[in-house]
Amino acid sequence: MTQIELYHYLVVGAILFGIGMVGFMTRRNLIMMFLSTEIMFQGVALNLVAFSRFHMNPSGQSFVVFLLSIAAAEAALALGLVVLLFRKRETLNADAWSEMQG
Amino acid sequence: MNYALLAATALGAIGLYLMLPRGKATLARLGLLLGGMALVGLFLYLLRTVAEQHLVEVGGPPIYFYLFGLIMIGGAVGVVTQPKPVYAALYFVLITLAGAGMFVLLLAEFMAIVLVIIYAGAILVTYVFVIMLASQGQGKVEAAEYDRRASEPFFATLAAFLLIGAVLQALFPVGGKVIAEENLGGHDRLMALNLGVIEGVSGGAGGGSGGVTGVKEGPATMPKGREASVLNPPSGIQVVGVNLYSKYALSLELAGILLTIALVGAVVIARKGEGAHVLGSGELPTE
Repeated sequence: MTQIELYHYLVVGAILFGIGMVGFMTRRNLIMMFLSTEIMFQGVALNLVAFSRFHMNPSGQSFVVFLLSIAAAEAALALGLVVLLFRKRETLNADAWSEMQG
Repeated sequence: MNYALLAATALGAIGLYLMLPRGKATLARLGLLLGGMALVGLFLYLLRTVAEQHLVEVGGPPIYFYLFGLIMIGGAVGVVTQPKPVYAALYFVLITLAGAGMFVLLLAEFMAIVLVIIYAGAILVTYVFVIMLASQGQGKVEAAEYDRRASEPFFATLAAFLLIGAVLQALFPVGGKVIAEENLGGHDRLMALNLGVIEGVSGGAGGGSGGVTGVKEGPATMPKGREASVLNPPSGIQVVGVNLYSKYALSLELAGILLTIALVGAVVIARKGEGAHVLGSGELPTE
């Protein structure tokens, strides 16, 4: 069989990023919006590890460690805020907060 | 312009557009069909354009890549189109596990384990907690109204179509050489040596583990200078650890500080201050 190359992984990473972007823009549930950003994180992590593998540079994997720490921090803070906002308005609809413009 | 890829991308975008939750009766099945067709077409295109060069096969049989890629993309579509948040979170677990499989194929076993532990173990549990905590209408089976109707599905899929289309056109210029293809044979071999995996590990279907990490003695094919590392081969974790603590030591400290700040911030946000009624009544905590 044929060989899997770098750009195979890049294609999958790009598609994951695009789908996550669609989810972030179309979903109106606050939790679902953050879950979509996690999909985008996955796509980027896949790209980083693939570059690390095919350019034989371990820095890519090091950056996945940083990416994971950012994702963990984001999840903790964002979900705390979501719970707080839910207690205030009793809804997860992002449109309920549309007066927060500026 | 590479019209075959463009058509596959457009087909996928239309499929995703049809699958996004709509309030009324939907064409979700047709969307699923179109999206599946687009994905299969894309994978066939990838199979077709692969150069017929015999490199060291380090990454395991290619079928695993296509399997994991299918699961990842299907799971992502499931997350985006599923009206109920709990099921969406479960689809995300699927993405995480398939991503860990991809990392194993890429010889990043440590990253795979970390992905499962941190993502599936910690972050997803947090998400499910919050979904349970913030779910309204205890007796209701139906998803909430704002979950059953996507906002601006057309423009969102159009934007994603443009993005992915541009990326694919850049990756696969028609008539040209694939960008990422240059001289990967040497890279493959060097990386394999670097990570302590000697070639000849995965000869076709050999090895039930997908032929990923097994370290075999292959002294006949090794250059002379590498014999010390053959006796004591550095594993992937070791290489990454040395890189992390030498080149990116400061960044690692900063990541730790960031996590600490996020921890303190989360506690402050979720804290019930003096008088728990303040938070219960929906007031933001005041310091």
